[in-house]
Amino acid sequence: MLLRSISRRLLIGLIQLLGLTIAVFFLIRLLPADPVSRLVGMNASEQAYAQAQAQLGLDKPVLEQLALYLGLMPGTQPGLLQGSLGISWVTNSPVTSEIAAYLPVTLELITLAFLLAFVVAVPVGMLSALNPGGRADKGVFVYSLFAGSQPEFWWGLLFVYVFFFQLGVAPAPLGRLSPMTSPPEWVTGFILIDTLIAGQPAKFVEALHHLMMPVFTLGFVLSGPIIKMVRQNMVRALQSDFVLYANCVGLPRKRVARYALRAAMAPSMTLIGILYGFMLSGAVLVESVFSLGGIGQYAIRSVLAFDYPAIQGVVLVITAISLLVYLALDLIHAAIDPRIAH
Amino acid sequence: MSLPVTDPIPEGDPLTLAPRSRDGLLIFGATIVAIVTFLAVFGPHIGPYNPTLTTPRVAVPPPKFTEIPSTLIGWINGTLPHAPHWMGTDASGYDVFSRVIAAPRTDLTIALAANALSLTIGVFLGLIAGYFRNWGTEVLMRVSDVMQSFPVFISAMVLVALAGRSTTNIIIALAFVYVPIYVRLTRAEVLSQTSRGFVEAARALGQPEIKIALRHVLPNSMTPALIQSSVTIGFAILLTAGLSFVGAGVRPPTPEWGLMISTGAGAIILGEWWPSVFPGIAISLTVFGFAVLGNALERRYEAAQ
Amino acid sequence: MTRLRTFASVAVTSALALTAGSGWAQEILILAEDVPAGLNYDGPSAAIPASQQGMVTLLEPLVGYAEGPVAESGVRMPDFNTFEGRLAESWSFDEDTLTWTFNLRQGVVGCDGATFDADDVLYTFARAKSVSGAAPIGWFLSNVGSIDGFGPEVFGDDPEAKELGDSIVKIDDYTVQIRQSEPNALFLPVLTIFGLLIFDKETMEANATEDDPWSHDYVNNVGAPGFGAYCLDRWTKDEEISYVANPNYFAGAPDIERVTVRRVPQSSNRVVVLRSGQADLVTGLTPREFDSLRGMDGFTVAGIRGNENMFLHMNFDVPPFDNVTLRQAIAHAIPFEQIIANGYFGQATQWEGLVPSGYPGFAPTAQFSYDPDRARELLAEAGFPGGEGLDPAVFALSYVSEKESTLGPIVNIIQSALREVGIPASLDPIPQTQYGDRQLVKRDLPFAINDQEKPIGVDAGYATQLFFVSPENGGLNNMVNYRNPDLDAMWAEARVDPDPDSRNTTLLAIQEMLAADVAWLPIVEYNTQWAHKSAIEGLRWYPDNSIRYVDLTIAE
Repeated sequence: MLLRSISRRLLIGLIQLLGLTIAVFFLIRLLPADPVSRLVGMNASEQAYAQAQAQLGLDKPVLEQLALYLGLMPGTQPGLLQGSLGISWVTNSPVTSEIAAYLPVTLELITLAFLLAFVVAVPVGMLSALNPGGRADKGVFVYSLFAGSQPEFWWGLLFVYVFFFQLGVAPAPLGRLSPMTSPPEWVTGFILIDTLIAGQPAKFVEALHHLMMPVFTLGFVLSGPIIKMVRQNMVRALQSDFVLYANCVGLPRKRVARYALRAAMAPSMTLIGILYGFMLSGAVLVESVFSLGGIGQYAIRSVLAFDYPAIQGVVLVITAISLLVYLALDLIHAAIDPRIAH
Repeated sequence: MSLPVTDPIPEGDPLTLAPRSRDGLLIFGATIVAIVTFLAVFGPHIGPYNPTLTTPRVAVPPPKFTEIPSTLIGWINGTLPHAPHWMGTDASGYDVFSRVIAAPRTDLTIALAANALSLTIGVFLGLIAGYFRNWGTEVLMRVSDVMQSFPVFISAMVLVALAGRSTTNIIIALAFVYVPIYVRLTRAEVLSQTSRGFVEAARALGQPEIKIALRHVLPNSMTPALIQSSVTIGFAILLTAGLSFVGAGVRPPTPEWGLMISTGAGAIILGEWWPSVFPGIAISLTVFGFAVLGNALERRYEAAQ
Repeated sequence: MTRLRTFASVAVTSALALTAGSGWAQEILILAEDVPAGLNYDGPSAAIPASQQGMVTLLEPLVGYAEGPVAESGVRMPDFNTFEGRLAESWSFDEDTLTWTFNLRQGVVGCDGATFDADDVLYTFARAKSVSGAAPIGWFLSNVGSIDGFGPEVFGDDPEAKELGDSIVKIDDYTVQIRQSEPNALFLPVLTIFGLLIFDKETMEANATEDDPWSHDYVNNVGAPGFGAYCLDRWTKDEEISYVANPNYFAGAPDIERVTVRRVPQSSNRVVVLRSGQADLVTGLTPREFDSLRGMDGFTVAGIRGNENMFLHMNFDVPPFDNVTLRQAIAHAIPFEQIIANGYFGQATQWEGLVPSGYPGFAPTAQFSYDPDRARELLAEAGFPGGEGLDPAVFALSYVSEKESTLGPIVNIIQSALREVGIPASLDPIPQTQYGDRQLVKRDLPFAINDQEKPIGVDAGYATQLFFVSPENGGLNNMVNYRNPDLDAMWAEARVDPDPDSRNTTLLAIQEMLAADVAWLPIVEYNTQWAHKSAIEGLRWYPDNSIRYVDLTIAE
């Protein structure tokens, strides 16, 4: 039953991604410029232009280009079906390997920020739900509204000004490590993991130090909606029949609270999924403040350079991850609340 | 954060039951919204300088606290060589204060238009998706899923690259983000409405389906979307600012808070905080004001039910 | 401000402590906007300055310019009138047969162990003529220098036209002859340019594949084998490139043993790291950031007027820019002094011509003054009193959005000044790629600011041919669609004029015509600047604006 619904979802997801790929393929070919001029540089003769165009495969009919991209023309070049996202026109490297370099930066940043937001939100939200309408509840409520409506990139800049420029306690916003430190060997792309694998605790600490401000910035704005959500779901759970019943039969308070938390978390999952998916590209603002070369930065660079294969690849990957996250969280939701599965 | 995430308020929430105790917040939100609306109408004309003409004085810091009284006196007596720059000037020589108060016209126009556009499309599609449940509306929902997971900054940048940096394109890009939210909200409400008796009753009277959908279901299903609007407007301001920050926003020198933060960002590391800090405070307060107001309205509505 | 100074001085002290402790390892760290995306001058990234920087570090040309004087700022300029041998030791020219004979340097060993000889030169030109890469720059330069056989026919279907032929021949292992098709003074200048640097044939061929006989993939992604002062050590695109000194470099091993270049895309971040003492040299800051470092203890900002300039681009194909009086009105509405002071912090001068003022053949023909009243008069004379009847849409001033931090203040000053005299100017930042496409290929930008045309061929004629000859007659980068049959005819004559004096006279007349028509509206020439620790010395300027690390030394 569950398996069937998962495979159904995956199938729909694949169709969605295929539709998206084709839509994006045609959309970017409407762009008012192609990257050919960047190639020809100072020699913009017609011949040079034609040469560069042929080099990029842009002289072929559009449908043939699509077939090539999808990998429907065996014996020419690998395409999507063969697991290739093409070669970036800016760097000449495979798009898959570039995404593999940029994506972990973003995943690491937003995952840590979500963890931070959660660690703060769950106890705060619970406490405030335990005594709804109280002074603390009101304060928490105002905080959650405030934090949730802030321009995170501006707070990032402000933190840089205060903690780096004025106080000197934070590192310069120069990426994941100081520019003099050579990065650990690439294993997972997650710098905190890679430094540990390489057995370089000093670099691990340095990376943590560099991640501190961006994670805090993002965690701050994320904490708003998450606190609000935890609180509201908790209030609802505490008022539900089963909690009333549990209280009536005299179960210990702690155990009741645990049940209530579980019931409160389940409906939060969908929203967390949407937020996480949004942040995959939405984190670009914080990434750019702190010079973290994440997937959002890569996407923007690709659009600015009219790098067709890279744009397509990055859209596809971000959307695919979002859809997978939605699916995974729905599964977690079902696991917490078995009623959903039926 | 520029994605409005909403969650239905549980019934019997004490914060809802005591709306009076939240009047302070309501007044706070309403005041900010009123000021911003006032500035949207008059802001570009009441500043001491033209917000889109440079002065020859670049990167002048704002007067220090201790200098404010003497500056004020000099200004009133007309002994100053030029009107004071209350928030300093930026690297191009623009008066920051004049631009901060001129910006609501840009920001609010974009936010209101984007919201109206996405509300109209979203409610309409949501109605269809909720009322007529067939394979077509199933496809609609799946497309809406993809739209929701589509990276917003990329779609906005592609759009801007396609058609240039303009207010219209930003409105479209924003609408693209908020349509799926309205579709979902309305659809859910339509689903719950159609399970009620009045639809059955209308059907029994032989009314055509389209008429039932438009005349009976639609008015009853719009409320959540309308309430969501007040929140969306605030978030649309944030997203507009975010787009400016990545270079996909309005054209300079249009006064817009996000653009001001973005052009000032490079200098913050040299210690020039004023060109970006003041517009940031303006956004921060404005969006918070809209959120507070929206929330208060929502709770009043819930309480009234 | 006080805080700023304290911060900086602390940083400097710690930096000094740091370097003093490391026992003078001759190593430097450079921060740049980008590291090379490719090292192939016939490849897709050849137009990117960061890539060119990589090429000139690893590869060596046949000839170069001799040393010129040291400018006030301590940067040495080349002497554009004197050429000296690099990989070629000497040469002679036979005017009757238009043949150049190069005697090549012996015993030059490249990074991969190969010894330089005539085959390397032939290989380099054969590769250029094969036009097999994404962007045929090598062919283009050979064409500009009138090397026989490098005409547009190479793009046809005849495979023989792509073969080297008999215009470049090997006489013996260390003698090569190159024949021109017509007299052309640009021959030696093009040989100095990055697009004709010499490859190491042996290593190139070892990395060729059946699909890619000219090793484009290898040079795009792995390395550029040649005979330069430095050898490639490590290269991670988008991140870092490091070079080690080539001990066998023909002019002796470079002083600095290792050069590492790291990508730090935001210029303000490069400032911070330099100040913290962790980096030795940074490039590509905004004028404002350079200014903030000037006079700071332990740091030097070196600047020199090379060939960088900024001008206003008005497209003759878009009315009303075909109206010369209107163009002159605009010329008098530009507040040059304010732009120099607030946009460049004094590191610029008004540009009084249409080619870089340091180039041979330059004439100061375009001396416009800021005079808003005169601008209003001319505007009325042009038929637009007070700006009436001007379409605001065509006055949207385009500029490269990636350069916002440098150009932002300048374009804002310009739009304000134009509006003061009644011209309905607005701003339209567009991405570099789109700007390039519209400038070079579509040629449809109506109104734009351009600060990136640095004619790399050091000659007024080269600039004329590139920018002002009608597109139909081979003006490859005639972005404003300037069409003047007189100019075309004069250049056709001057191009093949063997007498330098009469050539210069024609070039002067050409520059006078250009100024009268305001073909471009020249605004400023700005200094090329670098900021570095004061211990670094020996910087020289080259027309490609890339540094030659071999010139640098670290003072004790």
